[in-house]
Amino acid sequence: MHGLVARTKIIIMMLCGCLVILLDSPISLFVCFLFSLLLIAVSSPTLKQIRLLLLFLLFTTWGLLYSQAIFYNAFPRTILFTLVPSNFPVLGEWTGGISVYREGIFHGVVQSLRFNTTLVIGCYIIWTTQARELLVALMKLRIPGTLAFMVTTALRFIPVIVEETAAVIRSQRLRGFRYMRLNIFASINGIINSFRPILAGIIRQATHLGESVESRGFSTESTSERTQSKASKMRSMDYCIVTIFCLSLIAIVGLKLIYFCYANGIYYASWLRHAYTFTREIL
Amino acid sequence: MVPIQIDNLSFTYPSRTTPTLNGIHVDISAGDFVLLTGPTGCGKTTLLRTINGLIPHASAGTQSGSVSVGNQNVTTQPMSKTCQQVGFLFQNPEYQLFCTTVADEIAFGLENIGVPADAISDRLPLALDQVGLKGFENRLITELSSGEKQRVALASIISMRPKVLLLDEPTSHLDPKATHSILEIVRNLNTEMGVTVVFTTHRVKQVEELCNRVVLMDKGQICLDLPRSSAFQDPKPFQRLGVEIPNSDTVKEKQITNFSLSIELGNQLLSLTNICYRYPESKLDAVKRLSCHISEGEIIGIMGANGSGKTTLLNLMGGLLRPSEGEVSIVGRDSKKLKLKHLAGTVGIVFQNPDLLLQAATVKDEITFGPKNLKLAIEDIQNRVEDAIDIFMLTEIADDVPHSLSRGQRQRTALAAAASLKPKIFLLDEPTTGQDLQNLHRIMDELCQAIRARKKTLIFATHHRELTEQYADRVLLLKDGEMLFDGRPAAVFLDSALLRDASLSF
Repeated sequence: MHGLVARTKIIIMMLCGCLVILLDSPISLFVCFLFSLLLIAVSSPTLKQIRLLLLFLLFTTWGLLYSQAIFYNAFPRTILFTLVPSNFPVLGEWTGGISVYREGIFHGVVQSLRFNTTLVIGCYIIWTTQARELLVALMKLRIPGTLAFMVTTALRFIPVIVEETAAVIRSQRLRGFRYMRLNIFASINGIINSFRPILAGIIRQATHLGESVESRGFSTESTSERTQSKASKMRSMDYCIVTIFCLSLIAIVGLKLIYFCYANGIYYASWLRHAYTFTREIL
Repeated sequence: MVPIQIDNLSFTYPSRTTPTLNGIHVDISAGDFVLLTGPTGCGKTTLLRTINGLIPHASAGTQSGSVSVGNQNVTTQPMSKTCQQVGFLFQNPEYQLFCTTVADEIAFGLENIGVPADAISDRLPLALDQVGLKGFENRLITELSSGEKQRVALASIISMRPKVLLLDEPTSHLDPKATHSILEIVRNLNTEMGVTVVFTTHRVKQVEELCNRVVLMDKGQICLDLPRSSAFQDPKPFQRLGVEIPNSDTVKEKQITNFSLSIELGNQLLSLTNICYRYPESKLDAVKRLSCHISEGEIIGIMGANGSGKTTLLNLMGGLLRPSEGEVSIVGRDSKKLKLKHLAGTVGIVFQNPDLLLQAATVKDEITFGPKNLKLAIEDIQNRVEDAIDIFMLTEIADDVPHSLSRGQRQRTALAAAASLKPKIFLLDEPTTGQDLQNLHRIMDELCQAIRARKKTLIFATHHRELTEQYADRVLLLKDGEMLFDGRPAAVFLDSALLRDASLSF
């Protein structure tokens, strides 16, 4: 899996993106999530990468579970416990009460599995693909050259942004600025101002990098003359995996359509009843 | 052979009213080695960018006149064609490398211009050999030193076999040993392979021996264009613009001695006791078992090769990093127990990249920011701001947006912003980058005078030997995070073995 060409990895990510949108069941989404973790596992991540990924997963899962559990507004919904009763002065009366809903948690689990699967596959691509391969792969997938270069450059600059943000915050503090103040508007203004050097630095560095690659013959308009020192042609393994994913996606779309027709009384066939059950229970 | 012909070239950037290049006429013969120099903002880089076609292909503005390389007009020729004749090495090695490994970086340009895979395999080891990086094919770019990165960038260009090589201050971020190595490679390309070289720099002394022609620019025009043999016979044009000239003694030996003898040291401001520092994920200490004590009124130069730990040491001294082992005491307080907000007004720092400090809408607001945060009296704030604007020559640009200024102006703004806090400990990381000699000396003169008068401490990290010789009372010499020497500048600069050991000489 580590040796897949960049194009295959991007196609896998796009197909997985479609899959997780189509799937509704936590079981099937969990299988997709496990698959994404498998990809990461075989790419031999460093301890720092594992820590970073766990942090991402923790934040997204917590954020989605928390928000869905509280703000779930579809019906039916079952209250698990109440945080602020509706008769609580001001806040309760104003909001009509704040409760945690069982269906909201369930919905949060589904959403976080969807989000985390694509997040993990995205990390897998970034960590196992060189910037040059990613750029060429995106352009071969007919993504506009300028956009492909922007995406690749943005990914390349992530560590720089993290490092520079820390330096900016430290230097502002050393100049007496306090980010947390009673005057919330001053705090927000200070935070916005702190983005200025980071943004200016990124633009400047990206411009230099763009000029450097253009000075070495890179053009976002044409790839026809370009050669490749390392073969990045899709091999049988790449074709095999892409085929499996495509077939899975087609099968799921087909099953969902069949189930949709059955559920809406459009078409029913008794020999398809196992398909209906499978779609309802698993997909 | 590929001569460069520039005829009546003018160029104005979109945001400017005055042209950056104004009626440039110059013919460069094949095989020439041209030293292009001039004060900051004189148009050197812009001129190079017109020769390789970045202007107008990748940069907006109004251009008139013509630039041709090998009888091809680079203004109309696509850059993918021009780059096969003209290579461009940028100033900062960090911002020009795109790939993950050395081999990929070198192959990148060759792939872009359609060199077949077999030929790439042949050219790759040759290019690495030329820059002295044989066997580095599979090394990760992130693991290389700045000097090695710049050599990789050079290899990626020379593998494309250009006839013209443009170098835009390629050694300004490098230590003397790495600088020497880059200069030797460029010399070989010029003398042995007949590559035409145009080399811009403020450090004339470094390149003067290699060139056969000197071009001096000022305000977008060429004010001197002579063979090397006669270029420096009349030093006045260079002196007038504050440009370094060869065989000049920029170090005022007497002044140093007088300075050093006249120092009256006050109370101890900074104390480092047996400190070590290791970055997260690193297997090696960036600073190892280092001790020193710094008092009020001292001006200290930290020297060492790229990666020797100078910036880490500055950050430890300023409380921005906390030592893994040992103790840093800042004005009598353990840095481990101090938060950065407690150090505001006590420590001022200007990073090598001054942009990280600039967050305000105007230069004046930038300088006001610190004193205002310290809640000083309005009159005091005004006085500090006016002083800083005056010292750092910012009067004309006080209402400009900091990020729209030139590199040298941005650095002066950052220095003024830090200086307006009147910190007891003023830390500067590589103040020479992007500054011409005239500006640099004026800033350092004013700063050192103020530091001595107010009994503060100035600590600067630099590769610039003359700067340390002229302004520092004391030198801390580092190698691989360890202190090699702590003492008077005269002592260290007379010890050639010590300088070689620290990779500051070759």
